[in-house]
Amino acid sequence: MKDMSAAFIQMRVPVERNQPVARNTYLLRFRAADMARSIKPGQFFMVRLPQGSDPLLGRPFALYDTVLDETGTPVGIDFVYLVVGKMTSRLSQLRPGDELEVWGPLGNGFPDLADVEHVGLVAGGIGQTPFLAYARSLRGQRGYGDAALRKQPARVSIYYGVRSADLLAGVADFQATGAAVHIAAEDGSAGFHGRVTGLLADHERPQHLVGCGPEPMLHALADLARAWKVPCHLSLETPMACGVGICFTCVTPVRTADGWDYRRVCIDGPVFDAACLAWTE
Amino acid sequence: MAELGVTLGRLRLRNPVLAASGTFGYARELAGVVDFSLVGGVIPKTVTCQPRLGNKPPRTVETASGMLNAIGLDNDGLEHFIAHHLPYLRGLPTAIIANIAGKSEAEFFEMGERIGREAGLAALELNLSCPNVSGGVDFAIDPAVTRRVVEGVRKVCPLPLIAKLTPNVTSIVPIAQAAADAGADAVSLVNTFIGLAIDWRKRRPILGNVTGGLSGPAIKPLALRMVWQVARQVRIPVIGIGGIASIDDVMEFLIAGATAVQVGTANFYDPTACTRLASELPAALAQLGASHMSDIIGTLDA
Ligand SMILES: Cc1cc2nc3c(=O)[nH]c(=O)nc-3n(C[C@H](O)[C@H](O)[C@H](O)COP(=O)(O)OP(=O)(O)OC[C@H]3O[C@@H](n4cnc5c(N)ncnc54)[C@H](O)[C@@H]3O)c2cc1C
Ligand SMILES: Cc1cc2nc3c(=O)[nH]c(=O)nc-3n(C[C@H](O)[C@H](O)[C@H](O)COP(=O)(O)O)c2cc1C
Ligand code: FES
Repeated sequence: MKDMSAAFIQMRVPVERNQPVARNTYLLRFRAADMARSIKPGQFFMVRLPQGSDPLLGRPFALYDTVLDETGTPVGIDFVYLVVGKMTSRLSQLRPGDELEVWGPLGNGFPDLADVEHVGLVAGGIGQTPFLAYARSLRGQRGYGDAALRKQPARVSIYYGVRSADLLAGVADFQATGAAVHIAAEDGSAGFHGRVTGLLADHERPQHLVGCGPEPMLHALADLARAWKVPCHLSLETPMACGVGICFTCVTPVRTADGWDYRRVCIDGPVFDAACLAWTE
Repeated sequence: MAELGVTLGRLRLRNPVLAASGTFGYARELAGVVDFSLVGGVIPKTVTCQPRLGNKPPRTVETASGMLNAIGLDNDGLEHFIAHHLPYLRGLPTAIIANIAGKSEAEFFEMGERIGREAGLAALELNLSCPNVSGGVDFAIDPAVTRRVVEGVRKVCPLPLIAKLTPNVTSIVPIAQAAADAGADAVSLVNTFIGLAIDWRKRRPILGNVTGGLSGPAIKPLALRMVWQVARQVRIPVIGIGGIASIDDVMEFLIAGATAVQVGTANFYDPTACTRLASELPAALAQLGASHMSDIIGTLDA
C-alpha cells in the first residue's frame, strides 16, 4: 500500500470574489498561497463555513485553476460550483472578505500523460470543473505544484455536455487553452443535440480519455473507451464526509487480485483507471 | 502549568484527549497534519476477526448539526491489522488503544488473546456497541452478556480494558456496572444513537443500510447526561464521547465526570481538532484555578 501521509494544509482563508458564471453556477476565488503552490489538476480540497454546526461537514471541490500574481507566483485558488443543497446555497451568499475554512490539496490528481499526443477530456455538467487546469498543463501553458512545464503540448479535445445551454460555464476559459471545445446539450439548446458520449462517438478517437461527471455518464464513457480500446481515467465525485481518508464514507468498488474491495475515493482517487473500477458490484 | 495526566485503571495517559475509533482512520492518514505527541491517545478503527467489506454506499449523510453513518465495520481483519497497521501505530509517540468487535463471545476472546500478545498497545477497547452490523453485534444492550465478554477477555488478555457502550438502551448504568464488575479498567460512552434519514420524494431511506448511527454536536447533551449518570453511580473511570468539538465541550464532559474524552466526528470537519483541544486545556483549567485533572473531574455541582 502506498504511503498515505501526504501533507495537506488546513487554513482559514478570505473570499476574494464570488460571482455567477452560469445558471446556479458560481466561481469563488480565495487567497491561499501555500495551497496554490502545491495543488495539481484533478486534486481537490474541502471547504467549510467557519461558524456554526449546520452545515457541519466540509464539502469537496475540485481545483478549477490557480490564481497567479503579477510575478507569476500562485497566490489563490478558483473553484466553480453548482448550487445543489445546503452548503452550496450558503456559499452562493458569500461576499469578498468573508472567510472559509479549507483543507487540501487532497487526492491523487490526473495522470500526466507525458507521451500522449491527443487527449480527450469528457465533462458532464458540473464535472467540467477539474478540466481547465488539466487542459492548461496538457497544453504546456502552466505548470502546477512541482511539475515542470510540459515541453510537447498535447492536442486536447474537450467534450462538454450539459442539460441545457444556460448551464454552460467556462467555455471561453477552455477555448483559451487552445483545446478544441465541443458542446452537447440534452435539450438541443446548444451544439450537439444529445448526450456528451453521443457527441464524442461522432468524433475522432483520442489516444486517451479522461472523464468527470455523473455516474451514468461515466459508465457510458467507460463502455465507449473499452469498445474503442482507448485507455480511460475517470474522476469520481462520490459524496465525502472528511476528504482525508478517516471516515470510509466515499468508497467505490475497485478490482483486486482476488475479486473486488471498496477503496476510499478521497485518498486512492478521485481519479481511477476506468479498467480498475468494479461498478457492477 | 497544570498537570494534564490522567489514570484510568491500569492505563495512564499524558492528557485526556483521545481520537475516537472509526473517526481517525489508522492514524497514518493524518500523519502530515497531526502532531501525535500532543494527543492523549489514538484509537484506530474497529478491527474484526475476518475482513469485512462494510455496507453499500451511501454510508453517511449529514443531518442537523450531526451525521448518520452506517459504515458497517469496513476493515481488512485482525491479521492484516497486526501485520500492516500495528507496526506503524506502535511507532507513534502516543498511546495506541486497539479497538475490536467480535461476532460472538468466543470471537471476542480469540481476538483479545491474539492482540494481547502484541507489543506496543496501551490498552484494548471492546466495541460492544456497533449499531451497523446486521446480525446484531450489540452486546452492550444486555448486562449479563457485557459481563461475560469483558470477564472472558480479561482472562486471556493482559492489556487494560475499556468497554465501549451503546446509548441505545433503556438504562446504561446497569450495563456500565456489569463492565465494572467484570474487571474493565474503564467504560467509554457513547457510541452512536440509531437514527433514520429519508428522501421523501423517492420514499426511500438515504443510507444504503436504511438506519445509521447519529453522531456530532447533535448528540452532545444526550451523551453528557449518560456520562454524568454513569460516573456518579459506577466506580470505574468513564471516557466521555459525543459531539465534542470545542474546549467548552471537553470541560463539560470532565466536569460531568469523565476522566478522559474521545473526539469523533469533529476530526472529519477539523482534522487537527484533537491537538487543538489538548493544547487549549491548560488555559481552561487555569480559569477554574485547577492544577490537576482531579481538581475538575466529576465536580458538577448538581
Ligand atoms: C472530489 C470531488 C470534487 C468535486 N468538485 C466539485 C466542483 O468543483 N464543483 C461542484 O459544484 N461540485 C463538486 N463536487 C460535488 C460537491 O462536493 C457537492 O455538490 C456538494 O458537496 C454539495 O453540497 P451541498 O451541501 O450543497 O448539498 P447537500 O445539501 O449535501 O446535498 C444536496 C443534494 O446533492 C446530493 N449530493 C451531495 N453531494 C453529492 C455528490 N458528491 N455527488 C452527487 N450528489 C451529491 C445529495 O444527495 C442531495 O440530494 C465534487 C465532489 C467531489 C467528491
Ligand atoms: C463514520 C463513523 C464511524 C465510526 N466507526 C466506529 C468504529 O469503527 N468503532 C467504534 O467503536 N466507534 C465508531 N464510531 C463511533 C465514534 O467512535 C463515537 O463513539 C461516536 O461517533 C460519538 O462521538 P462523536 O459525536 O464525537 O462523533 C464511528 C463514528 C462515525 C461517525
Ligand atoms: S471522505 Fe472520509 S474517507 Fe473518504
